[in-house]
Amino acid sequence: MAKISLRDVEKSYGSELVLRDCNLDIDDHEFVVLVGPSGSGKTTLLRIIAGLEPVSGGDVYFDDVCVNNIDVGDRDIAMVFQNYGLYPHKSVYENMAFGLRRRKISKSEIDERVRQAGELLGIGDLLRRRPKQLSGGQRQRVALGRAIVRDPSAFLLDEPLSNLDAHLRVQMRAEILKVHKTVTATAVYVTHDQVEALTMGDRIVVMRDGMIQQVGTPDHLYDYPANRFVAGFIGTPAMGFLRCSVRRSADGDTELVSPGVQIPLPRERAAAIPADVDTVEVGVRPERLYLDQTAARSGTLSGTVEMVEQLGSEYYVHVNIDDAVITARTSRDQRVEIEESVKLTTDGAYAHLFDVETGAAYA
Amino acid sequence: MAVAVSERSAPAARPAPRARRQRGGRAARNVGIAVALFFALAPIYWMLSTSFKPELEATQSDPSLLPNEYTMGNYQSLFNGAMPFGSFVVNSVITAAAAALISLVLSAFGGYALSKGNFRLREPMSFLILLTRMLPLVVLLGPLYLLLLNANLINTMLGLIIGYISFAVPFGVWLMKGFFDGVPKEVIEAARVDGYPRWQILLRVALPLTIPGLLTTATFIFIDVWNNIIYPLALINTIENQVLPSGLMLSFTGQFKTNWGGMMAASVLTSIPLLIAFFAIQRSMVRGLTAGAVAGE
Repeated sequence: MAKISLRDVEKSYGSELVLRDCNLDIDDHEFVVLVGPSGSGKTTLLRIIAGLEPVSGGDVYFDDVCVNNIDVGDRDIAMVFQNYGLYPHKSVYENMAFGLRRRKISKSEIDERVRQAGELLGIGDLLRRRPKQLSGGQRQRVALGRAIVRDPSAFLLDEPLSNLDAHLRVQMRAEILKVHKTVTATAVYVTHDQVEALTMGDRIVVMRDGMIQQVGTPDHLYDYPANRFVAGFIGTPAMGFLRCSVRRSADGDTELVSPGVQIPLPRERAAAIPADVDTVEVGVRPERLYLDQTAARSGTLSGTVEMVEQLGSEYYVHVNIDDAVITARTSRDQRVEIEESVKLTTDGAYAHLFDVETGAAYA
Repeated sequence: MAVAVSERSAPAARPAPRARRQRGGRAARNVGIAVALFFALAPIYWMLSTSFKPELEATQSDPSLLPNEYTMGNYQSLFNGAMPFGSFVVNSVITAAAAALISLVLSAFGGYALSKGNFRLREPMSFLILLTRMLPLVVLLGPLYLLLLNANLINTMLGLIIGYISFAVPFGVWLMKGFFDGVPKEVIEAARVDGYPRWQILLRVALPLTIPGLLTTATFIFIDVWNNIIYPLALINTIENQVLPSGLMLSFTGQFKTNWGGMMAASVLTSIPLLIAFFAIQRSMVRGLTAGAVAGE
């Protein structure tokens, strides 16, 4: 088991800096998810932790020991690759035993470990097969099994579910969490799917353009995004944004206003906006917007329905408000038509406020 | 009812022009294949036919497709001691096999390094290796002759093998690089994570996955070397040390006449090992070539 620390880690390819100022502490036994869009540097960071890529600057520590110059094979990590990385010419059994043979483990112990992992993952009857004779889900289980049998200090998983269909992905998500609970090793998991991140991670690291944007628990990231990017990236459907003026009255009340929008802010929320700021980016989660106009919510947003997505149990209603489109999540009972004028209500207490220039949150 | 009939007949009538076009396309393709086959096989047929013709018939100005008179004399003359045909065969087998084997080992290491290695001069080195293959063999022969002369290796099998290796390795490295490119990066990295050093990854993971590539490369090198005539002519200066192509040319080509029947009989026997090698690995060779091609994309 290992505590992993990154200190000012940088990575460049030629003159192109792809990672910078990466500082992160991952506790022993923790399940941390690196999430971000394509090109954000999450896989590169994972490969640096694995030792498959050297750092261009900074240090990587395993249990307070700098491992910058320690080869990947000596770091005591196991990795699950996006495309499985199974040995095509070896059986499932040999795939799992290959790493153990290198470590001079006795034949009987290898056999025991492989069979235990096979049973845990439900592939005990496939041990003689070759990878090409397996389905995608079975291959993924073999890749997990190969990592488990090693009993490593840390598991590193690089988008392991991205090649599976939606149904199998949900199933394998649960399997990975079950395995993690069983082996209790530190795990670093890379994904571009924020649903995976929210459902699996003890903590989530959101990355963009080679920089860590925010680190926190799923709830913390969802409720207190550090900036506009994190706010828009975490959550499905995504948070909607409107640019509003800050109108302060003489009696101390504050309202966010723009054409069609009027949202009174509670005093504690208003206090977070610096006194010299008169325009802010306002973010509202879809579940905090209501078509139900009878409820006593003081914030109102008027616009035209641009699109309605039917999801069976609920609708996502995309409303155009002065050329900005925000999404409301509504129940099946509240049907609206495209081009229909609607008035949404919200509570200013749940409005997220961001700096117009930097995107940083006013907390 | 009438409507029903017309509905049934309409779809049957529509595919007819398409079917005709398809038949026409197939016919044109078959004609093209036949023409290509004719050009490829006609010399082989001529070699076989001439090898059974008596000397006079083989050189007549109005040659016949089939021998008017069949003779085995051309084949018998190869073994009557007039020339060291057996030595040519033994020399060819030893030099070609040794050159193919050594070149294959060097090509596997070189190709793996160029495909999976991560070093600064990888691209320029790849280009330089390819460049040596672009130069005509004759250009390389002069410096190679001087090197072998200084090393006292002229007119030796070792010298000839070194000569063969000099042009076979660049070709082999590039072929093997293509095959190694087809081995997924993740498989190699998985072996690194499993703790294996690079040379063991090559032996235990990369090479087993490129067996068709190894067979293909070995066969190409063997055929390339087996057919080479310039190097033995330049590097070997006694008839008994010659290999098949050069030995046959020196034995059958005189100042005033050429023994075409004898040369063709020798050529038939010379071709047999190549045909056996080719047919033995034909399936894996085609698979190997395909893998290499896709990997480069």
